[in-house]
Amino acid sequence: MSAAGGRIAVVDDDVSVRRGLDRLLRSAGYEVETHASVHAFLASDALDAVSCLILDVRMPGPSGLDLQAVLATEGRRIPIVFITGHGDISMAVRAMKAGAADFLSKPFDADELFRAIELPSGVAPEGSPPPPR
Amino acid sequence: MSARDRSALDAVAPPLMGPMESRLVLRLLLVCVGYYAGASIGFGLKFFGLTPSVLWTPNAILTATLLLTAPRRWWLYLLAALPAHMAIELTTTLPRSLVLALFLTNCAEAVLAAGLARWVSDAPTRFDTFRRVAAFVVTAGVTAPFLSSFPDATFVELLRGEPYWSVFSTRFPSNVLAELLVVPTIVTAVRAVLERSWVPPPRRLVEMALLGGGVLAVSLVAFGDPGPLAPRNPWSLHTPYALLLPFFLWAAVRFGPGGLSACLLTTALLAIRTGTLEVAVFSVALRGDGVLALQIFLIVVSVPLLCLAAVIEEARQTNEVLQERLAFEGLLSRLSSAFVRLPSPEMDRAFETWLTNVGGHLRSGALALLELAPSGDALTLRFGSPPPRADVPRALASRDFPWIAARLREERPVVFGSLDALPAEAARERAMLAEHGVCSGAILPLEAGGRVLGGLAYLASGPRTGWPAQLESRLQLVGEVFANALARRGTEDALRASEEMKSAVLASLRSGVAVLDRDGTVIAVNEGWSEHAAEAGVTSASRAGLGDNYLMLWRQAQFAGNVQAAHAVVGIEAVLNGRRERFAFEYTCHDPMPERWFALSAVPLHRSGSGAVISNTEITDWKRAELEAQRSRQELAHFTRVSTMGALAASLAHELNQPLTGILANAQAARRFLAVTPPDLDEIRGILADIVEDDKRAGEVIERLRELLRKGDAQTVVLDANALVRDVVRLVSSDALIRGTRLEVALRAMPSTVRGDRIQLQQVILNLVVNAMEAMADTSGELRVVVIETALIESVVAEGRMVSVSVQDAGTGLDRDLQELMFEPFYTTKKTGMGMGLSISRSIVEAHGGRIWGKNNAGPGATFSFTLPYAGAEQA
Repeated sequence: MSAAGGRIAVVDDDVSVRRGLDRLLRSAGYEVETHASVHAFLASDALDAVSCLILDVRMPGPSGLDLQAVLATEGRRIPIVFITGHGDISMAVRAMKAGAADFLSKPFDADELFRAIELPSGVAPEGSPPPPR
Repeated sequence: MSARDRSALDAVAPPLMGPMESRLVLRLLLVCVGYYAGASIGFGLKFFGLTPSVLWTPNAILTATLLLTAPRRWWLYLLAALPAHMAIELTTTLPRSLVLALFLTNCAEAVLAAGLARWVSDAPTRFDTFRRVAAFVVTAGVTAPFLSSFPDATFVELLRGEPYWSVFSTRFPSNVLAELLVVPTIVTAVRAVLERSWVPPPRRLVEMALLGGGVLAVSLVAFGDPGPLAPRNPWSLHTPYALLLPFFLWAAVRFGPGGLSACLLTTALLAIRTGTLEVAVFSVALRGDGVLALQIFLIVVSVPLLCLAAVIEEARQTNEVLQERLAFEGLLSRLSSAFVRLPSPEMDRAFETWLTNVGGHLRSGALALLELAPSGDALTLRFGSPPPRADVPRALASRDFPWIAARLREERPVVFGSLDALPAEAARERAMLAEHGVCSGAILPLEAGGRVLGGLAYLASGPRTGWPAQLESRLQLVGEVFANALARRGTEDALRASEEMKSAVLASLRSGVAVLDRDGTVIAVNEGWSEHAAEAGVTSASRAGLGDNYLMLWRQAQFAGNVQAAHAVVGIEAVLNGRRERFAFEYTCHDPMPERWFALSAVPLHRSGSGAVISNTEITDWKRAELEAQRSRQELAHFTRVSTMGALAASLAHELNQPLTGILANAQAARRFLAVTPPDLDEIRGILADIVEDDKRAGEVIERLRELLRKGDAQTVVLDANALVRDVVRLVSSDALIRGTRLEVALRAMPSTVRGDRIQLQQVILNLVVNAMEAMADTSGELRVVVIETALIESVVAEGRMVSVSVQDAGTGLDRDLQELMFEPFYTTKKTGMGMGLSISRSIVEAHGGRIWGKNNAGPGATFSFTLPYAGAEQA
């Protein structure tokens, strides 16, 4: 996809989540950038650089689903992994139908996340250590 | 006095005999007959060859008549004498012109005598003082006969040719004698008859008979036909008059001028009759000179004797008045002393007794006491015995007598000579008095201590024209005693009523009431206290009986380690010393179980603070009910909180998931970092720090949750209203996010301390915020804003500064008709929910001394606000 290959963007309004995911993904060898809202993400130039989006559904301002819709209309096919603290089935179905790579309920296991990232994008972290077993 | 006595006959005569006219005719007839009889006697006592009689009484009869009648009627009485004069004179050989002339001189003498006497004497019909008798003797006795004898002698000389001085010298002494002897006799007799005091007691009658008999007997012996006895009767030869002197003195001393003149008259008639019959009883033949001597003797004797009688009468009357006054004063002093220490229940009887006593003393009328009701026109009329009519009750039930009441209240006396004299507005009074057989009366106001209490009435069954000043002053004296007694009774009755009311109130109290003296010793207790002291499970202080020291018992409890007792000792002591106006506290007794609650209150007995009144009330039931209510309220509040939390569950899960997600991600990252050699320790440190932070954050969420879900007693502490709002906003922020609602917070209350229970107040704010968000379920996204504001305001209603918290939404607003209902329990417009939220909120806010209300905004939506008293600068 992108030149960077392993670059992942995390958009979540919660700082704990952002910091946790940033470290987890970096420990797996990904390049990570985090944004607190959809607006902040769109304002940055990350859109062209990332190969995968980890997106919170509910945030102040536009939601993750709103961003998915915008990207779809723009024809950008960035794999999106949705994460949510209070997901329900209807929301998940809507996201999957719109082409989401996966839909995870917080809190989620690291393997779950990595599977969700690797499956659609096939990106693997560069020189990543083997996942501990 | 004199004005009344001048027309004594008209005034004193009671209207008993019917119309005035018939009485007048009767009197005129009486005068006519008297004149005729007097003239007949006069003609019988005439010396041969002389016109004037030796004792010519008609003039004196006329004089007496005129003295007894009003001057405006004199002409009638004089005219009445004319037929008698004509009838008797025409039987003589006198020329008619002389007869008429003599009538004129006779009338002139009578008019002169009566007129002069009236002019000179203050009471011409009375012969009871030296002054009056002297005035009578000088005017009617001497001057009038003297002056009238000149024309009389002139007429007789001119018309009949008799020698002038002979006529004069016969007529003058004859008329003087007649005036002196006849006038007092007639006037005294007529007055006695008219005043109805002419029936004397039997002893007096016997004395009168003895005197009369003696005078007659001695006169007969002295002047009567001695017959063969004459030479052998040495007493009668030279000293006939001397024999009569004792009888005259007797009459003068015992029967006054009236009785004396009657005696003298009898003697004179007998003596002159003997003389005119030319019976020789004197040492010298009773011829003209002898008659003159007799006349002069009688005149000379009668004048000093009349004066003596008058002096004696005066002394007697003075003595009588003195005696009477002494008797009255004695009565008054007994009356005063009788009422001095009389207890008020016995006063009614005493009033009746003394009205009777005093009434008996005053005679000829009944005394009555009128008691004025403190309010209104009701008068209680109380008679002594007997009332004017025997068949009426002594005391009359109170009735309204507005006219008399009004007069008395103005401190004006009521005096009426007859019932007709009462004004038209006194119709009720007139009817009442008539019913009691009262005809005339005088009512004096009774006043004591600046207040009119009633009246003292002197009521008579007959009409009256005048009220003696003495009666009035005596009524006043008696009235003063009665007034003071009435005033004292009023005070005593009021005091007793007050005492009775107080003891009734005390007895009716279920609380125990004890009165303490200055030192805290119990000096009085009510029944409630005694019953209470006998019960189990009360403090030793509550068992205090009369004479125990209440304060000491509390002190002992304090030394025994009772914490509440220390408080009681301080408070009761402060009240006893007058340092506190009131002390109230609640205490418990645990021994034996179950626990009992009491409320104690102490107030000073006097304003000065010496002594106190302790009231002790068991409030266990009330306290239990209150605790029960509090518990139910808390349970309900808790239940409501739990259900609110239920609604927030999803958002709370989200709130927890965030830090948990962070922790899990960080932890798994750490594992990965540790697998690398060498491990990136900086990363590991950062991770651990983040994990700690996230864990704390999760803990806080759980703590907040647990706090709200906690079930427990309310704890009143000083809180920061702004902090409360921030806590709630944090709690609902996830929910707001889920609902797509923006929360705006404007914390303007600086400072914002309030006193209350944190959880309860958070519940109120939470409830209002959740309500506001729910109200905007159908509102479009951009407008979904809840504004939460705090402010410090000056309250008009509660007087003082209040902290207000308001929550504004832009939802559907309030149904105007249902605004009254929304704070009621179980009222709800939501599909789910119990309708308890606002009801609980209101009970919480009001329990904190605040107020809660809701109203529609000028724009869309509604604002709910509540206020709490500002707690000042205390630290939250």
